Amino acid sequence: MSDTSSGGKKLTTAEILAAARAQAGQAAGSKPVPGAETKADAPPAVSAPAPVATPATKPTSTADILAAARAQSAKASGGGAAPATVSAAPVEKPAASAGTPKSTSEILAAARAAAAAKAGGTAPAAAPAAVEKPKSTADILAAARASKSAGTAAGAPAKSKPAPTVTPAAASADSGEKIPVSEMLAKLRAAETVSATTAAVATKPAEVVPAAPLPMPVKPQPVAKLKKPVDEQRRSMLVALIATPFAAAWTVFTATMGVWTLATARFMFPNIITEPPRKFKIGPPSDFDLGTVATKFVASSAIWIVHTDQYKGKSMIYALSSVCTHLGCTPSWLEGEQKFKCPCHGSGFYITGVNFEGPAPRPLERHGIRLAADGMLEVDKSVKFQEEMGQWDDPASYLEVI
Amino acid sequence: MSHHPDLTTSVIKALGWLYLILFAMNAAWTFRSYSRKADVRITGVWGIITALLGMFAIAHITGGSDPERFLIRMPEFVKSFIDLGADPVTYFCGSTLVFIAMIVLRKWWTQPTVAWIMLNLSILFLALSMTDYDFRQIVGKPDNVPIVSMLFIVGFFTWLFFRRAVDNDERIAAGKPLYEVDNGGQEKVLVWPDLVYTELICMVVLSAVLIAWGVALQAPLEEPAAASRTPNPSKAPWYFLGLQEMLVYYDPWMAGVVLPTVILGGLMALPYIDFNKKGNGYFTFNERKFAICTFMFGFLPLWISLIILGTFLRGPNWNFFGIYEPWDAHKLQVLNNVNLSEYFWLDWMTTLRIFEPGLPIAPAGADFGTQVWAIVTREGFGILLVVGYLFALPPVMATTIFRGMFMRMGFLRYMVFSNLVLFMACLPIKMVLRWAFNLKYIVAIPEWFFNI
Repeated sequence: MSDTSSGGKKLTTAEILAAARAQAGQAAGSKPVPGAETKADAPPAVSAPAPVATPATKPTSTADILAAARAQSAKASGGGAAPATVSAAPVEKPAASAGTPKSTSEILAAARAAAAAKAGGTAPAAAPAAVEKPKSTADILAAARASKSAGTAAGAPAKSKPAPTVTPAAASADSGEKIPVSEMLAKLRAAETVSATTAAVATKPAEVVPAAPLPMPVKPQPVAKLKKPVDEQRRSMLVALIATPFAAAWTVFTATMGVWTLATARFMFPNIITEPPRKFKIGPPSDFDLGTVATKFVASSAIWIVHTDQYKGKSMIYALSSVCTHLGCTPSWLEGEQKFKCPCHGSGFYITGVNFEGPAPRPLERHGIRLAADGMLEVDKSVKFQEEMGQWDDPASYLEVI
Repeated sequence: MSHHPDLTTSVIKALGWLYLILFAMNAAWTFRSYSRKADVRITGVWGIITALLGMFAIAHITGGSDPERFLIRMPEFVKSFIDLGADPVTYFCGSTLVFIAMIVLRKWWTQPTVAWIMLNLSILFLALSMTDYDFRQIVGKPDNVPIVSMLFIVGFFTWLFFRRAVDNDERIAAGKPLYEVDNGGQEKVLVWPDLVYTELICMVVLSAVLIAWGVALQAPLEEPAAASRTPNPSKAPWYFLGLQEMLVYYDPWMAGVVLPTVILGGLMALPYIDFNKKGNGYFTFNERKFAICTFMFGFLPLWISLIILGTFLRGPNWNFFGIYEPWDAHKLQVLNNVNLSEYFWLDWMTTLRIFEPGLPIAPAGADFGTQVWAIVTREGFGILLVVGYLFALPPVMATTIFRGMFMRMGFLRYMVFSNLVLFMACLPIKMVLRWAFNLKYIVAIPEWFFNI
């Protein structure tokens, strides 16, 4: 699709940038940066910015810059001939006045049309094509080739490319429909042959045809509704044909997910648990003297065994969870200060487990404890007792020692 | 008394290199002063300072055969004086005062000479402090390298901003073109190459620095992690130390979930709240006073300075320690905290003899409704305060201090804005309440894990 008829040499990004900046500088009126395109003659360089500079003061997009740059370079490489710039100017003006061009194709069309205009001398045929917002590359191709053929075939009269065969294409281009390239090419070739033989005749129908209103046949749609029964059958079969794979896929997906869910559920009940048991024996009550905190179970079971008479005046043994009620760090038991102190945010708890300093909002939790039949203390970590819920009065949460 | 020598030969040698860098910096500064044809006396003073620093460097590099007798070290009275101020109240109020002074005196301290003297003093302070064993333990930790460099980087960029802003404000006042315009700035620049190229360079440089850093400094690995073993002190990653400090004053769901979400959401909402069109693309302070002061208060005293606090001033058991104070795990700090409900029911109501003394408690075995009522009554005063703070204050502010803003922002934008400001203010408010009244929670409902 590389259209070499654009006349100008291909620009590198750097050159485009340089050109764009030079223009922006000129438009802003500050330092005029000498452009990279020094080979451009003086007259086009001066005359060209006039139409382009107005939109360049506020370059809205890269497309703008690119279009401006390419248009300029096309002019410059066009030989600096005065008519070339003049004929190119009207091509760009509509694009500029349109504010923001809608698409790259549009810009490309404008640029290429300008180049084509120069290549074919004065060929206004390309200009309207560009002005009327060509919708696709096919359009551009058509325009470019038409102008080329015009230049080669017959000069001035040959510019009227739209031979009778072309008219539907032109009309459909107006109505905004896309035309296959092959069709375009066929028509173009036909046009070439026609224009070579009878060029003068062809001009008249070309100008008449675009007025033909094509979108009219849209109306008869209500009639189509009447044909329901026949269509219905066909459509339901089609729907079934399309829907069946989807249904199958979703069924398989759902089934797989179901199996996975079951497998996950099974995973929650392993055959072997390597964790320490939730219920375990810690020794006879005589191991724990009054006023002491046994810290030896912290590493293995995350509990302190406390024997104190400071909670409600009763001498009792209980198992305190070593998880800080603020954010879950493990406080350390400070024997000298007789308190649990958390290293993370400074929460402090009395030996009873009641919070008194720092941010911890509630006392440490107790776990279940009881005297087993063999005279050993048994801790049950599967239950917990919270002071703020009034659960510390539960006899399962402590063992009273007399 | 100390088990550790404050100074060793290797420390003295290393400090020698630091002084050598300081010497080179000041030599360049003296040359700058000379080449700009400044007053001869000023150039002379800088020359003398440079010479002194050179001698310091030589003394450090050549000396040190007997570190105990090395003289250039932080005087003890300075250390004990600085340690005296090591409590959260002094620190936070001090940093807020420094913040205010920074804004008020911006014309003075952004002068290059003043800023240079401040930079010199800060490096000198760092070098002298390194002669202290406990300070070295903190600064020398590989963990804390980013924090020390952050101090200087934040300082530099704050200075840069204020310098440009002060300059531009003077230009605007005088009706002259902005600094950015005078220095070839354009209203719009291209993404490529102007932005992407800069980003590429930054990427390359940062990668190089990170690789060099990773090779030079070993990762500070500790013992294997265990659920039941918490290091003491247990510090968050350095960038979260502000958050950790926040957790000291708030419940985890508040400081760990609600407030960070508000911070992130609030930062994202900033472009939609800001109606001030000025200051786009150029530095200015006078044209955006409120926005800059608010943002900087949230960033400098409430984030950066809390990171410094968490790094240098928090020790074992999250107690407060001076920067030269040994980390004693048994340091005793009285932190007995009391909930507002306890103040209200046990203190004030009893004193006023309005109700029977004691917190309202549902009798044992009461039904759910009674329990809820007891809890709500107990915390009623705190709930009222919080609701008033969040719902009554915005309209009040709209009619008083933020009147102009309310008019320009419209209802919805103003409500979002005022709530964000109130959420930001709640951290310093709670900190002050904790320090002044040992207040633990304004609303404390441990039964429902709901504490404010």
